[in-house]
Amino acid sequence: MKSLTLILFVLLYSYNSYGQTITGNVTDASDAPLPGVTIVIGGTTNGTTTDFDGNYSIVANSGDVLQFSYIGMQSKEVTVGSSNLINVILQEDSEQLDEVIVTAFGISQEKKSLGYAAQNIDADAITKTKQTNLVSALQGQVAGVQITNSGGAPGQSSRIIIRGINSLDPSADNQPLFVVDGVPIDNSTIESGNNDTPRGLTNRAADINPADVESMSVLKGAAATALYGVRAANGAVIITTKRGKSGRVSINLNTSVGFDELNSLPKLQKEYGQGFSGEYDPESFWPSWGAPISEVAQTVPGHKYQDNWNRAFNTGLQTDNSLSVSGGGENATFYGSFGRLDQKGIIPFSDWARTTAKLSGTVKVSEKFDFSGSINYSNSGGNRVPHDRFMERMMYWSETTDVRDYINADGTMKTYGNTNPIYDARFSTYEDDVNRMIGNLNFNYSPTDWLTLSYRLGTDYYSDSRTKITPGPKGIVGEVPLSSTGTIEETRINSKDITSNFYLTLKKQWNDDLNTTLRLGNDVFQRKFDRVSLRGEDFVIPDFYNVNVTRQGFLGQDKSIRRLVGFYGDLMVNYKEYLFLNVTGRNDISSTLPKDNNSFFYPSVNLGYVFSEHLELPSWFTFGKLRGSWAQVGKDTNPHVLGITYVAPDVFPLDGQVGFSRNSSFGDPELKPELTTSIEFGTQLSFFESRLDLDVTYYKSNAVDQIIPVPISDGTGFSQYITNAGEIQNSGIEVVLGGDIIKNEDFQWTATANVSMNNNEIKAIREGIDEIVVGDQFGYAGSSVTMKLIRGEAFGNLYGTSYERFGADENNIFLDSELPIVIGDDGFPVTGGNQLILGNAVPKWFGGLRNELTYKNFELSVLVDFRTGLEQYNQFDNFLSAFGKPEYSLARNDFRVFEGVLADGTPNTQEVWLGQGVGPDGRDYGAGYWRNAYRGVSENFVQDASFIKLRNISLAYNLSDKMLDRIPFKSLRISLAANNIILYSPWDGFDPESFSAGAGGNAVGFTGLGFPGTQSYFLTFNFGL
Amino acid sequence: MIYKNKIRTVWMLGLVFLAISCDSYLDVNENPNNPEDAPISGLMINSTYESANNVYRVGDITSNYVQYLASPNPGSSSDTMEPVSNSNTWFNLYNVMTDLSVLIDKAEEEGAGHYQGAAQVLMALNLGTGVDIFGDIPFSESFNFETVTPKYDPDVELYGNVMTLLNEGIANLQGETTAELGDDDFIYGGDIDKWIAFANMLKARYMIHLKDVQGYSAAEVLTAVENGFQSNDNNAKVNFFEQSVNPWFNVARDNADLLLGGWISEQLIQALDGTSYDAVDPRLKLMVGTTDDGEFVGTENGAGRGNAPEQGARSTLIEDQYYTSQTAPILIATYSEQKFIEAEAAFAVDKARSYQAYLDGITAHMNMLEVPQDEIDAYLANPQVGMGEAAFTIDAIFKEKWIALFLHPEAWNDARRYDYQYKDMTLPANLNSGLNGEYIRRLPYPDSETSRNGQNVPSVTLLDRIFWDAE
Repeated sequence: MKSLTLILFVLLYSYNSYGQTITGNVTDASDAPLPGVTIVIGGTTNGTTTDFDGNYSIVANSGDVLQFSYIGMQSKEVTVGSSNLINVILQEDSEQLDEVIVTAFGISQEKKSLGYAAQNIDADAITKTKQTNLVSALQGQVAGVQITNSGGAPGQSSRIIIRGINSLDPSADNQPLFVVDGVPIDNSTIESGNNDTPRGLTNRAADINPADVESMSVLKGAAATALYGVRAANGAVIITTKRGKSGRVSINLNTSVGFDELNSLPKLQKEYGQGFSGEYDPESFWPSWGAPISEVAQTVPGHKYQDNWNRAFNTGLQTDNSLSVSGGGENATFYGSFGRLDQKGIIPFSDWARTTAKLSGTVKVSEKFDFSGSINYSNSGGNRVPHDRFMERMMYWSETTDVRDYINADGTMKTYGNTNPIYDARFSTYEDDVNRMIGNLNFNYSPTDWLTLSYRLGTDYYSDSRTKITPGPKGIVGEVPLSSTGTIEETRINSKDITSNFYLTLKKQWNDDLNTTLRLGNDVFQRKFDRVSLRGEDFVIPDFYNVNVTRQGFLGQDKSIRRLVGFYGDLMVNYKEYLFLNVTGRNDISSTLPKDNNSFFYPSVNLGYVFSEHLELPSWFTFGKLRGSWAQVGKDTNPHVLGITYVAPDVFPLDGQVGFSRNSSFGDPELKPELTTSIEFGTQLSFFESRLDLDVTYYKSNAVDQIIPVPISDGTGFSQYITNAGEIQNSGIEVVLGGDIIKNEDFQWTATANVSMNNNEIKAIREGIDEIVVGDQFGYAGSSVTMKLIRGEAFGNLYGTSYERFGADENNIFLDSELPIVIGDDGFPVTGGNQLILGNAVPKWFGGLRNELTYKNFELSVLVDFRTGLEQYNQFDNFLSAFGKPEYSLARNDFRVFEGVLADGTPNTQEVWLGQGVGPDGRDYGAGYWRNAYRGVSENFVQDASFIKLRNISLAYNLSDKMLDRIPFKSLRISLAANNIILYSPWDGFDPESFSAGAGGNAVGFTGLGFPGTQSYFLTFNFGL
Repeated sequence: MIYKNKIRTVWMLGLVFLAISCDSYLDVNENPNNPEDAPISGLMINSTYESANNVYRVGDITSNYVQYLASPNPGSSSDTMEPVSNSNTWFNLYNVMTDLSVLIDKAEEEGAGHYQGAAQVLMALNLGTGVDIFGDIPFSESFNFETVTPKYDPDVELYGNVMTLLNEGIANLQGETTAELGDDDFIYGGDIDKWIAFANMLKARYMIHLKDVQGYSAAEVLTAVENGFQSNDNNAKVNFFEQSVNPWFNVARDNADLLLGGWISEQLIQALDGTSYDAVDPRLKLMVGTTDDGEFVGTENGAGRGNAPEQGARSTLIEDQYYTSQTAPILIATYSEQKFIEAEAAFAVDKARSYQAYLDGITAHMNMLEVPQDEIDAYLANPQVGMGEAAFTIDAIFKEKWIALFLHPEAWNDARRYDYQYKDMTLPANLNSGLNGEYIRRLPYPDSETSRNGQNVPSVTLLDRIFWDAE
């Protein structure tokens, strides 16, 4: 795009010869020549640009002011004197960089011209986070964008939601579109499936090496994304990868080593060991309801608390190396890179690796024609340990048996009875191997100065080959096998995206004040997906794992194809550089909708008013802009959901017979596209030369005609009717506050804070339907928690059981925990019968604070982020309480008078014992308070999941020029970093930032027994040649 | 100007071309995974298989009410007759009926009379099963998507549908067909005579329900019986598969793996071990397991296991008995059940026939379990069992039918008609206080219906009876 701008400049500023000829050279601070710097004589339209070596020549008169300007550099003015030689050094301008935002189709636009909020993250801010997953690198950095890691496994997915959940469909993907160099890519997460335990798979954007990324910008509202059509209805993340620059070849080598460890552990008791009712039993299933460990140790040699919860986990290790070579000549540039990441997780035998190779180039064939292309290959995958089962088995495992001592000499499991978690992690393998190719080609042709024809062709192809093995018995007497038969499952996934985009750009300078750009284009998208699976059960030969050598085989296939065709127009009007109007319109046609309704149009309009360029403002008022937008965006549905179909249930074939049943899902043959209308107002202000910057945005979006799989009476012959049936609203405020607090030669301090608040409301669900269940998670003894959507409430409400409250309003759907608890005749709290709303899993507020400090050659960067106003179901705690492991369950031989009132409202005074069996008072307490009562009340486990985290801190040292002179490097940087350290959280347990649904799921309020979060430490070297 | 016009023409032509090619380019939404049509044979396979599963699903609910089984946990809602939502069972009944409705229409279209007839019999079975547990349910507005909120038809009218379906089914099975049932029929492997006998057996079953209400005729029941099953060889059942094991086997295996379930009620143990009746039933050891000490110890309904450990101290379903092997059949209708229907129908009109049918019913069940002949003889010789025609009472029929219907949902229909008057049967501990000390008379409508079709769901209590359950 840069080259295009240059051509325009060249064309616009005709050469007019008079006066003396000034020549010179323009370089950057490091003495590298800057090609393409614009030089204009002040007050005229006369100008030129520097050539490949940074040289220029221009005819000017003494006293003229030469204005040197270049994107990303501070402009400089030099008055022509007597000398004919004027050499200029331009300083980098970080502020200036921020001002350019890459928007739809990779078009760089000045931020000041946008009528909507947009934020840009540069390469430095991405790589500093040390995140291996590009999505996680955005954490805490962008207002209105919530990123949540689904867990701490190597390669585990990370979820991104922009301005709240926009769909009532529990299975909808609410994540934004990912666009790399103008071409959309796939960011889906394909989990291990319903008939397997959670494995924590990868979101596909993690296939991109963050070191290859030049910048990321997040387009938030529908206004920002109208040009990407239906696929960007949830916003878009625009990724621009690094390109070669004209000039000398530069080589960069990054090498980094990192260590991971558990970042948080629940408070656990260490006193009581294996058995039940306070009695020791070395073969008991119960790990912690037995006798005090110290008591047993007096008679049983070697009996002690093994500290398994710390010993079961390894120190994770990651090494990351990448090498890039870039450069170019006057008419062509190139960029090539290799990257290799290896990661070993804290759960033994979990690992993930990524190898990437990228090659891109640009060629300027003539002033009228240029093209560019890139190809990105990646291979990723690893062993996905059954982390949920690992943690579950840790719950059951005796605290007095060494969990690390897991295998016998003959290869069978070493156990007292329960399954050893580490043995399972080692042998129940699930390996994925993804080969992916992302490529694009861009052509630009400008037959005249006002017209450019552009074509982009993109492809994203990957194959994902997965093998799952659960061994069966080895046939050794006395062994405890992981499975009575053993299973092998081979899954092959192929996904192929093709995107084609052709557009015309028409530019017209009407007069000095009015400038317009019109784009008209056509966009075609296709995704073909095919998943084949082959499962064999019951191995014929133990330890020989091949589907052919099993006694039973099962097959499965799932295919889909989706096509979209769009036509669009985009008009930008620039009036006197202070008023910017942008009008867009797009018509999409989708293959997934009924033919009569599959074509839909939606417009948008936005306006930016830079009043600081228009009005006279005091000098301290550096910049001021007001902006507003109104936009609509349509949305289609998933492929192949319409009408009536028949399914062959999984159980078949049985004795060679395959049965059919009518699909219980019926897709409305009259289905219409969804329509989201959003408005946005905001202002961007800057004071005292950017010492203080403020950006405030208010937004509201309403998605109507939501396509929802509506549950309907089974009596109709269907259970689910996919139709237009609801409305959801999101509104919120985003504030970005920042500035260059200190700015002098040696010391700079820049701080940026962002805070976002989102309000969500389900405005309507089709008549006759009371609720939509998004997900649920098991809890012992009736304490399961469900996420349900109901009319008039927000997305994310968690329902469960609670203690009965005295005087509670029967119509109140929320738990009123202020009221006194009702105590039963037995002296224990009474569990109420109704499912009440115990919390909401979507944070009300979240944000981050980044501080950048530079002192001479040292750089310190600190990123803190927070979220608050949310609750989660802590399944870990539910399990721990059932098995007598939490610290609070030490109160197991105490007497207690539960605080609360009796059914008649009088205070409870009855003293009860909390232990198991017959108490000192002679009363039989059965399984005891913790198992009989506490674990069965969801209220105990739906907990505040707020946190403040030190997301990243890094300290870097850049070798000074003096020292560099003695070594063969152009630059050398050494940095130390730490990630994901919990500074504060009311949550007792593993990292509250984890949920079992994975990035693709919407049931975010459930921790499950997922891969625990980790904190990491890194040492990185960065060499420039 | 001419040049400009040309450009415009090319541009317009281009657009038109794009628009036309779009149509076929975008026509790719036909489902590549699930066909838009299914063969009648495939629908028959799934319907026979799922009908058997539905017998299990309903039996799993009712077996605690009739005290075959008891929960190991105190106050378990299945034992204490709480209003439990059975959304899954409801779904499965309608899922099979939906497929049968499609199958009946398609078979009629294709002239496949035997498919049509067999489907009608299965429709009657699933509909009858639904009415017997829920009462009024949707049917006349079902299956064809006329409305998203189908109305509920009165139970008494639905019984009319059941009879019509059975009669039409018999006529179709006796008539011409363009396609023969075969291996796609998991119940009889295509034996049409057995299907006709099965239809008659079901007529007898649903007619005997009406004994205490208007329109009952003993003679009609006896006619149906005569056209029904002739031996255990006619039993309607689906044998399960190694790839898909019998669901009661699953319960037994899970229990062995400490996912507790399938614990035997004290009531059943005491009825068979000589406690309630002065007769030790040789079937007990073939139906349930013992404690580690080799004893039969039941669990009191509603009370839970008390201080008993999870394993080894109570009788439970155990793997590899008649009802609980991997490939054990799920019994849909048996010769012994039919014999007890005959005994009940004949009791008032031909007591000798009734008594003989009673004895035959016991023998048929014992033969099915492969009880040795000498043990059968000894049991029948016990005066508590073979009491002679004069001392023979209706109570004896209900008691023996209850044993012969082990785990079958029909037992609950009998229990309600018999007002739960089995000897020594008592209300469960911790009974649902809403029942005011009485036994449950129906299932509540499931949550899936109240949340999706709330306005049509009748308001009922668990004491409201099905129309055939006379006070």
